[in-house]
Amino acid sequence: MSQHPKLDPTVLAKARAAGLDTAIAKFPDCVADAARAAAADLADMPANTGTDEPWPGMRVRSGR
Amino acid sequence: MTDLRWMTASEIGAAYAARKLSPVELVTALIRAIEDGNPVCGAFIRIDAEGALAAARHAEADIMAGRSLGPLHGIPVGVKDNVDIAGQPTTCHSKILLDNIATEDAASIANLRAAGAIMLGKQALHEFAFGGPSKELPFPFARHPWNPDYHPGGSSSGSGVALAAGFVPLSVGTDAGGSIRNPAGNCGVVGLKPTYDLVSRHGVFPVAFTLDHVGPMARSVADVAIMLDGMVAPGKERSFGTHLQRGVRGLRIGFVRQWHETDMVADPEVAAALDEVERVLRQEGADVRAIPLPKVQELAAVQRIVLLAETWAVHAKWLRERPEDYSLPCRRKVMPGAFLSAGDYVNAQQARRWMIDAVDDALGEVDVLLTASGMDPPFRIDDGAGLAKTYPRQGRSPFNLTGHPAIAMMSGLSKRTGLPLSLQFVGRAHDEVTLLRVAAAYERATQWSRHRPANAGTPDVRPVAAATA
Repeated sequence: MSQHPKLDPTVLAKARAAGLDTAIAKFPDCVADAARAAAADLADMPANTGTDEPWPGMRVRSGR
Repeated sequence: MTDLRWMTASEIGAAYAARKLSPVELVTALIRAIEDGNPVCGAFIRIDAEGALAAARHAEADIMAGRSLGPLHGIPVGVKDNVDIAGQPTTCHSKILLDNIATEDAASIANLRAAGAIMLGKQALHEFAFGGPSKELPFPFARHPWNPDYHPGGSSSGSGVALAAGFVPLSVGTDAGGSIRNPAGNCGVVGLKPTYDLVSRHGVFPVAFTLDHVGPMARSVADVAIMLDGMVAPGKERSFGTHLQRGVRGLRIGFVRQWHETDMVADPEVAAALDEVERVLRQEGADVRAIPLPKVQELAAVQRIVLLAETWAVHAKWLRERPEDYSLPCRRKVMPGAFLSAGDYVNAQQARRWMIDAVDDALGEVDVLLTASGMDPPFRIDDGAGLAKTYPRQGRSPFNLTGHPAIAMMSGLSKRTGLPLSLQFVGRAHDEVTLLRVAAAYERATQWSRHRPANAGTPDVRPVAAATA
């Protein structure tokens, strides 16, 4: 994996996977801030078993 | 007659009925007020003077002929520029959508027009209802009408500023994380986020599909009720102001103290104002009791994950292809969704279900909740660190997550800044009637809604001639 002077390898890999190559080149600080913000929000999430039915529940209808 | 700038929709309707004012006079006076005052506060980014005056002439002919469409007939409305008005650009205050001309009215706008309202123009917002003040934006950002050195709140910033500056009696706002209630509270006006899906989102540029709400903003609770009646689709409930005069005697109000006392410690002025709200409600006969909810940080974090994931779905293509066309605050705020996984989004939606249940359970014990809106008074617009606190330190976004109706209004004045402080009342899903009843009782008891910016006396826009029959 190639290196970036402002982004750690994990952040760089995720940003590339998301297609943010232009932003990586032009706005690396924004990319780094965004990764930190996402991690901070995930850290504040309450514990979750992952098995509950999500909201909203499935409804059978045409979709129109 | 009262200065036209400060008339409520209810007062305007009465003046029309009494032939003391005409829609053309009012629209002309408000356009003049906007031309004079807008360069300072940036509330409007575009005025449709020609269209508004044509609609005013039409309304005037109908009203004078006795063909009234109801309380919104001939009332000017400002519209946040992420809501479509046919034939006009919907820019979302962004370079990216400068050429985006709407082909039809948003559903809420069509409903307001059918009720006789006049669309006066498009109002400033945070870029894509998400960014913040920036000199990179294609139009000036809105400033606080009481003191232009301060932030008016957002993202419906122009909508709140226009009301508080006396440019328009009603504004359409949108709210995915507090964007109606933050500027309403900061600017000392009233903003309602209705129950999720009560007002159609059709024709509104999305922030986050399951969090987006469209709602009314005004200078009084009664006007918010009138406007909500006009925004909902025909066939739905249209008498949200039915109980505005009933007072709060016998109602149970749950005060969510924990959010601003222990979960987050609010500014002492905000906390003191909320204590005073409690005292006033008790004095008016309400049974006010403390009630717990899940931690505000947890609710806010779940809302943020949903928000960021859904926003990423909207903006991914542009963030990949033209990130330079976003202003810095917006680019920074919409990009975190790229770092969330599908599992993160599903986990947030799982947590959302029990959080909705928790708020429903609380509202099984009481009729309405009282919470902090913002934890701090408005910050200076050049205070980057302060502005960065605006969105994490608040109690508004939890109710975008749960969908319950919530209203923000003035709760006092900051001694430090002289600017409004605010509160939030929250109601049961689809019980806007009780929510508005509580807000109206508080408004009557305190009269905060009568406060105006210090520069409110100019320009003089009193009527120049009586309407002719």
